[in-house]
Amino acid sequence: MAHKKNRHVGVVGIGQTEYSSHKEYQNQVEMVNEAVRAALADANMTLNDIDCVVHGNMELFEMVHQPDMWHSLGTGAFGKPEFRITTGGTTGSTLVCAADNLVASGMYDVVMAIGLEKLQEGNTTGGITNMADPLWFRHLQTGALTATTATMMIQEFGEERARRAAMKYRIMMDKHAVLNPRAHRRFGLEYEQMEDLMKTSPKLVGDLRLIHMCSQSDGACVMIFACEEKAKKVSKKPVWIRDHITVHREEMFNNFGIERPEMTHHYAARKLFERNGIKNPIEYFDVFEMYDPSAWWGLDWLREFFLLEGDEHIKMLENDEWGLDGKLPVNPSGGVTSTNPIGATAMIRPAEVALQIRGDAGAHQLKREVKHGLASGFGGTLWTVLIMLEKDLKW
Amino acid sequence: MKRVAICAVAQHKIEPDIWYKRFQGMLLDILEDIQAQTGFTFDEETGVHDIVTCSDDVFDARTISNAGMSDVVGAHYRGEEKMAQDGLNGLGYAMSMILSGCDDVVYVAGHSKESQSESRNMCTNLAYDPFYGRPLGLDYLCAAGLQARAYMAKSKITEEHLAKVVVRARQWAARNPYANETNQLMLGDVMYSPMLCDPIRTLHSYPVSDGAVGLLLASEERAKEFTDNPVWITGFGSSMDSYFMGDRDLASNFALRKAAECAYKMAGIKDSKKTVDLVELMDCYAYQQPMWLEGLGFSKDGMGGEFIDASGPAKYNVNLSGGHLAGTPLIIGGLYRAVEAVLQLKGQAGEHQAADVKCAVVQSTTGGAGQFHTVLVLER
Amino acid sequence: MAEYYGSKVVDIFNTMPVRFKPDGVKGVDVTIGYDILGEGGGTWVVTIKDAALKVEKIAGDLPKCSVVMTADAEAFVGGALGKIDPGEAFASGKIKVAGDIIILGNVLPKAFEKFTPIVRARAIVESMVERFRPEKAEGVDLKIGYDLSGEDGGAWTAIVKDGTCTVKEGLDPDCTVTMRMVSEVFVGLNLGKIDPAAAFGSGQVKIEGDMMAAGATAKLFKKFEVAGAEEKQGEELISLKCIPSIRHRFATGSHMGKWFKGLKEKKFYATQCPVCGRTQIPPREVCAVCRVRCDEFIEVGPKGTVTMIDTVYYASPDPLTGKVRQTPYAALFLVMDGSTPSESFAHELNPKDLDRIESGMKVRPVWAKERTGSYRDLLYFEIDD
Repeated sequence: MAHKKNRHVGVVGIGQTEYSSHKEYQNQVEMVNEAVRAALADANMTLNDIDCVVHGNMELFEMVHQPDMWHSLGTGAFGKPEFRITTGGTTGSTLVCAADNLVASGMYDVVMAIGLEKLQEGNTTGGITNMADPLWFRHLQTGALTATTATMMIQEFGEERARRAAMKYRIMMDKHAVLNPRAHRRFGLEYEQMEDLMKTSPKLVGDLRLIHMCSQSDGACVMIFACEEKAKKVSKKPVWIRDHITVHREEMFNNFGIERPEMTHHYAARKLFERNGIKNPIEYFDVFEMYDPSAWWGLDWLREFFLLEGDEHIKMLENDEWGLDGKLPVNPSGGVTSTNPIGATAMIRPAEVALQIRGDAGAHQLKREVKHGLASGFGGTLWTVLIMLEKDLKW
Repeated sequence: MKRVAICAVAQHKIEPDIWYKRFQGMLLDILEDIQAQTGFTFDEETGVHDIVTCSDDVFDARTISNAGMSDVVGAHYRGEEKMAQDGLNGLGYAMSMILSGCDDVVYVAGHSKESQSESRNMCTNLAYDPFYGRPLGLDYLCAAGLQARAYMAKSKITEEHLAKVVVRARQWAARNPYANETNQLMLGDVMYSPMLCDPIRTLHSYPVSDGAVGLLLASEERAKEFTDNPVWITGFGSSMDSYFMGDRDLASNFALRKAAECAYKMAGIKDSKKTVDLVELMDCYAYQQPMWLEGLGFSKDGMGGEFIDASGPAKYNVNLSGGHLAGTPLIIGGLYRAVEAVLQLKGQAGEHQAADVKCAVVQSTTGGAGQFHTVLVLER
Repeated sequence: MAEYYGSKVVDIFNTMPVRFKPDGVKGVDVTIGYDILGEGGGTWVVTIKDAALKVEKIAGDLPKCSVVMTADAEAFVGGALGKIDPGEAFASGKIKVAGDIIILGNVLPKAFEKFTPIVRARAIVESMVERFRPEKAEGVDLKIGYDLSGEDGGAWTAIVKDGTCTVKEGLDPDCTVTMRMVSEVFVGLNLGKIDPAAAFGSGQVKIEGDMMAAGATAKLFKKFEVAGAEEKQGEELISLKCIPSIRHRFATGSHMGKWFKGLKEKKFYATQCPVCGRTQIPPREVCAVCRVRCDEFIEVGPKGTVTMIDTVYYASPDPLTGKVRQTPYAALFLVMDGSTPSESFAHELNPKDLDRIESGMKVRPVWAKERTGSYRDLLYFEIDD
């Protein structure tokens, strides 16, 4: 049984900057401030309405120690309580869970969560490689690049089918991104280019090609959460946080042995759906914003998240079921391969789901009614955060 | 509001250089200690399924510095979130996890080694903006120096006052088996110690420290499973001052007053002087003891010097652990203070136990010159 | 096609949509006819109405317009570029105006950003010799082929050798790396208007040959600057580069300490969990699954069986040395002999085995001759045959 929440929490404001790799015209404070103002405007609130700020951004990416202190100039945290919680790639989604906990607890009525990144002001690959143990593995790790999943999928489904599927997934994501004016990379790819890209996109590692891999983006995302009473007063369409789960795993990347353990994605989905009585997640959810750092991972993880077997996920891809008009649209925003401002990325996922539920997503709004949404965060040593959002307080 | 309990605490002895263990070894000792005290498990149904860690990526030189601790805090296939401010905020956050209904037991564990990097000041210099503060050479020590100057003028603090604070800290530290710097001092030793960052002398500053702590929190319903002697978190508050030094009234305790107000309100404390039996505050530098005591309402505004003359700190059982001044690593300063307060409330503080402690206040800072303050109220 | 002062007549009309300023023409409703005479000339009608622009090339006679400009092609281009004084051109009859002349003076400056010469690929390639930085080319021996398609394209080979750079027409057959793209993309990349990662990623730029060499060419040449272009970007951005460097001394603790001692002795030590029996390599103080202290060490390996191979083509700099490895190289995941099957160990492959390595093969460690108890003691693994 899912735990009984002390009180309900609704998303009442969402603000995002544009995501690009050329935000030289703003410093970090100004960038955060832009998203904060956008969220406050969206919520029709002022800073006076915010009881608490939650901030998250990895220090070693921009090499600023305790950045929330400096960013307070743009976050509006002056004179307010604040929490700073950072968990690598999952940070944005962790901030959503944290805001949910803080509001549900009764300690604060309105909480503003801020996720941001300005990767061009640091060295991203260096920052990621620094997550490895300084004694061992730091000299081996190559940022977040690996083709192990591609290799496994090729082994399981055959070279041709697996490669085509990964490329189709990537092109599908780009087609979604093209509709999202905020997305960073919008190439305008066509399915006809599949053969060509499969041959010519430069290889990074194994079968992981440049086209498959996420971008390095800058930008900020802000979400405002309020308790049920205030949410209903302030917003005509609050989006409710139903439940969330965070699943980490051990420190070492030791999971490529002969026997392979359950992935945290699978465990998280299993636990979350079970305790919420969801027997058929593909039928239940109307949209899924997944943290997909590469096309191979995105495709593989669809099987994990929906507890599928065999090649069901690939068949669904081949039948366009994961597309905007499909059975379960995935990443109508374009996902992480198109836009990845690390500290914000995992927050953009639930933010985009909330926009879909509200009907405010703009050009990439799904045509079907969106009532039940799912968002995932990814990071660290293959951790997962999974969040359920609902249109109505009916569960 | 329902109450959240701290069931058990564990601390690693604070030393200038724990070269013989890495963080994982230190935290394993902590985990075993708390498990021995409480019998808690990580069982999927009845045990801890969310953990709050606390560490500093810059001091650890490791992105996601909690990733390395996953194994030893039991986070394998469990939730874990890193508190990246002073650890006292981690307790406030863990409290919200329980009050929200999301969890009923939460394990909090923090670690830091100031000895690992060649310079604490080089680390905290990175907290200043890259365009002005950083090139100027600002770091937390310099910021404290500026604040010390402003405060000492306002509250008539003399060299002798500061020396008294340090001497007293060492006296209490000597009774605390976990304390770092226990060398006894005379007033003259402190008053004539070399200047470190005017007006802060070397002996006014907390020594380089390595350590680790753990705490187990539980909901009111489940606390009795883990301890006969729960300590309740009855108040929590935090607040942020402005960033640029010039924008702040450095001697005003602006953020601390707000944080304390919030914590006291939650705890129903109208006059801290009457209700509070013990204080554990984060005095990185000697001037901060009288200064934070003003902010916490134990001494009148601007009367810090007189407060020390009247033995105010002794009267309110301030920092019987030796405080941060005797040596505590920066990011987990507040957690060590909380651990001490819990031991005092449980009557487990051994040689440095105060009599009949029912209500304690714990305070910590994050950022330069106390830009951000956190206050916790604990009661038996 | 004829060029005047480096630009063509069509350039001016083709860039009108991009240079158009809708905010400057509120309430304006005009048609402007252009009859440009001479080589490269033609007839155009420009319509501005309801803050929208329409530019049409006309065959035949001009329709009725609010104002018509008849001009000599060279004077027209020269005037647009500010190379010749339009007043003088008007006076000398090189530019004639019929109709409401005020429109030209009032509307045009508000309707369009000033025209700047279109940069073409040829100009950029030919300037490579001038922009070459010999101080960055020590020891560099490269042939870079540019195969640029489209009307303004061409094929060139840049040869960098012995601290000099020469550029010739045509593509050499033995180029170290060849870059193929539409010429406009090449121009856009060089002017900083197109993001290189986006261009490569989306297949607009195809690279044949040594990809790492392609990446290295950028630093050999100074950035291309448009001659006489005005600073339209606004304020200059100042960029400060700084590498903060703080030395750290990491403690190994008991378990990693034993691991490094083992490496010195050409041994692999793992811990074994007293509860579930799984081996952990490198050894860890605790078993994450059972959450119990692991103080029992066992020796594993030294050989192992490969389970996964990651062949790396794009190397990131080694964070401890700053060096970039030679690519391609392979990272291996293997299960050591004596290890429990779920525990993989990651390391590198001896480059000589890159073509032969397959999952399931047996590998053995290759040790450094001088071992000090550091990660450098273990060089890599190689096929055990």
